[in-house]
Amino acid sequence: MKIREAGQQMAAAVFHHGSQSQAPLTPEQMAQANEHEKEFIAHFSDTQRPLAPGEVAESPRNKELGKSSKGLSIRDFELVRTLGTGTFARVWLVRLANPAEEDRDKVFALKVLRKVEVIKLKQVDHVNHERSVLADVAGHPFITTLITSFSDHDSLYMLLDYCPGGEVFSYLRKAKRFDENTSRFYAAEIVLILEYLHEREGVAYRDLKPENLLLDGEGHIKLVDFGFAKRLGNSEQQKHGKKSKGNVNIVPGETYTLCGTPEYLAPEVIQSKGHTTAVDWWALGILIYEFLTGYPPFWNSNPIEIYKQIVSKPVHFPNEPAISPEAKDIIRQFCTVDRSKRLGNISGGAARVKEHPFFNGVIWEDVYYRKYRGPIIPPIRYPGDAQCFDTYPDEKAGREPYSDELKRKWEDHFKDF
Amino acid sequence: MSLSSASLDVIDSLRKEILKNNPTDLIQFCANYFTRQLELERSHFLSSLNTQGTKMSGSTFPGRFGSNSNPFGGATTNAGEQVGSGQISKVMEEDETDTITSPTSPNFNFGNSGGQFGAPFGGDASGEGPPSSFKAADGFPSQYGMGRRTSVSAESLNPTAASNDNWSPPFHHKTEEQLQRLKKSISGNFLFSHLDDEQSAQVLGALVEKAIPAKGIKVITQGDEGDYFYVVEKGSFVVYVNKSGSLQPGPAGLGEEVATIRPGGSFGELALMYNAPRAATVMSAEAGCTLWALDRITFRRILMDSTFQRRRLYESFLEEVPLLASLTKYERSKIADALETHKYPSGTTIIKEGDAGEAFYLLESGQAEAYKSGTQGAVKQYTKGDYFGELALLNDAPRAASVISKTEVKVAKLGKDGFQRLLGPVESIMRRTKYDEGVEEIDPLHKK
Repeated sequence: MKIREAGQQMAAAVFHHGSQSQAPLTPEQMAQANEHEKEFIAHFSDTQRPLAPGEVAESPRNKELGKSSKGLSIRDFELVRTLGTGTFARVWLVRLANPAEEDRDKVFALKVLRKVEVIKLKQVDHVNHERSVLADVAGHPFITTLITSFSDHDSLYMLLDYCPGGEVFSYLRKAKRFDENTSRFYAAEIVLILEYLHEREGVAYRDLKPENLLLDGEGHIKLVDFGFAKRLGNSEQQKHGKKSKGNVNIVPGETYTLCGTPEYLAPEVIQSKGHTTAVDWWALGILIYEFLTGYPPFWNSNPIEIYKQIVSKPVHFPNEPAISPEAKDIIRQFCTVDRSKRLGNISGGAARVKEHPFFNGVIWEDVYYRKYRGPIIPPIRYPGDAQCFDTYPDEKAGREPYSDELKRKWEDHFKDF
Repeated sequence: MSLSSASLDVIDSLRKEILKNNPTDLIQFCANYFTRQLELERSHFLSSLNTQGTKMSGSTFPGRFGSNSNPFGGATTNAGEQVGSGQISKVMEEDETDTITSPTSPNFNFGNSGGQFGAPFGGDASGEGPPSSFKAADGFPSQYGMGRRTSVSAESLNPTAASNDNWSPPFHHKTEEQLQRLKKSISGNFLFSHLDDEQSAQVLGALVEKAIPAKGIKVITQGDEGDYFYVVEKGSFVVYVNKSGSLQPGPAGLGEEVATIRPGGSFGELALMYNAPRAATVMSAEAGCTLWALDRITFRRILMDSTFQRRRLYESFLEEVPLLASLTKYERSKIADALETHKYPSGTTIIKEGDAGEAFYLLESGQAEAYKSGTQGAVKQYTKGDYFGELALLNDAPRAASVISKTEVKVAKLGKDGFQRLLGPVESIMRRTKYDEGVEEIDPLHKK
């Protein structure tokens, strides 16, 4: 523990907050920063005792997490294998290049985003939101931890804790469906994530689905991929604290960019009505349905048909498997087209969700402090074991270069990394 | 950084395969090879989960430490045993009778083949199929793709009012007859059916005429990026789908002819939501065709700007209501969310004296007047920004007056039940701050 604290202090001295622009470092300073930062990440551990929601942002360790690095580069890591790919990002399992003897087993997930792709797919705002939201929530027991971020000429990097269990998606497809207890366990952890994101941080996540839920070594949920997460003007700070006079907060409570995954999109997103954190509760209803049946309630090989169903059809339950009335009820209450009637969004917020009969008997304190055992314990043989992840083809060669012209226009947008 | 031994192994075995087979189409060969490898690896992983005894609830279901009343566990069935019973669910049956598809939506008209477009590792959007080791199983909807689903996203837009630019939607004149036809064409479409009159008028105005002079012109090309939605004004268009997912060179490259679109028909609606690759090629079938076109950014900005403005308007109205003075900005925003717009012609009785009060109204446009029985003439005039009936939120007293529209009016209505659902009982909100002065004076509808 001593070592870790020392590492933290050193890191505190050299990590800087992303948006502050500072004088360029001398090569010696760079080298020094690099050493300190490597030490910090080598001693990062995600297996800390969970902190109370109010403490997450306050703990000294967590304050050091999620900052932009000065001295780190891709050369400080050895890429082991790909853990996942997206349209403009690839996540690698990495370990430290030339690790000290005791750090041999230290592995991380490194999310690499190509600037060209980010620009081309018009996702510049989204990657900045992702970095900033992840930095703010670092340390939450069920959210992936952003350790640090850095960038180079053509890429952006986010160093995250490694969740060796792989995607809940893989287990679900393998098991075909989960029983209600298993579904309840994951749903409960997600309720706590949404409560924290919505009511404490004012953040809408916007891409809930089994593919974005990883399992850590003990079988607890880690929510990943905050590419669509967005801060909206409805956090507790706004609700209770600072009502600064004259200085009206211009962040509206709603947002307009259509994003998410077709089967999980809320009706108000499809119909461009402006959407709020309520979209995540809709998606949780879809998710519980998919856990219990193995497929989402609205599906079609043609996305347009999915959207037509979402805006007009009630959720329909199959005869097989049998689903309990409580489960049906909570799904219907989440998947209510009228947001002013949707569970989670109505008065009481997440507290009301926790009181729903589907969660009867759940001791929420114990959920948060990870006292329930995970229903699936991932088969992990050694620290960097990635057998729970699917394999992915290599990156295509001949990527478009990040030209000087693009750089002139866009580089400033990436300064927070 | 040198390649890991695992990478070297992969390259090495590929080299052996290439040497052995000496393929003519090298890239295709490699693609096939890796797809096969991936399937093998995946099925290996999944079966290893089974044999290694991954704990899936059941008897090994872990309990909460030191407790035997576990809401997540107990005598439950084993998730791993929940193989379907072979019954296809009702969901399935319903979906088979479903609606007509826009021919340019991905996977249009593939019958039950569940055909896939796009690369199996999917760069984009919709229609991504699973690597084939996940087969639909018994008890599962046979068409449901079990693969990983790709996220979709439109470009991020910020409301004009919140940024500094001065955007206004384009307007292209149309005759009354053209407008009626267009209205009819799009009114049944789920992307348009919920628009209010203003939004609808702006969208119709923004549709731009596009002449397609000759036969055989490709309006959209399968596999290309999608930006525009089209309505056919004149002429006809043929839809082709190539099973490879994109237009191929050569005479057969168009693929199969699957539909013809005639005047009043439309195609390319998915492009109004986000940029997905076109799922079909659409080509003019005769000379002298005409289309109406609408691009995604214009469409989304029209909707966004009007929604944004309306919400800010509602929020500012709500700010003026003393009864709601103690609400935070966040709460007002939630209420704004629940407001329903209603339009009434002049002379409509919006609320009636003596009725139970169930809703509160904000006057968005037009004028209205309050009348009380036994009193000559109007007791109060309402104009834009005024509100009436808010005491209904507070108590069950009957309406103390009637409110009748003097002109055509637009009102935003908030039901008592909606208010309570969102914010809880009114009393607790009232209790937050003193609300003691002059309610009665402000609202003539309140019975003394």
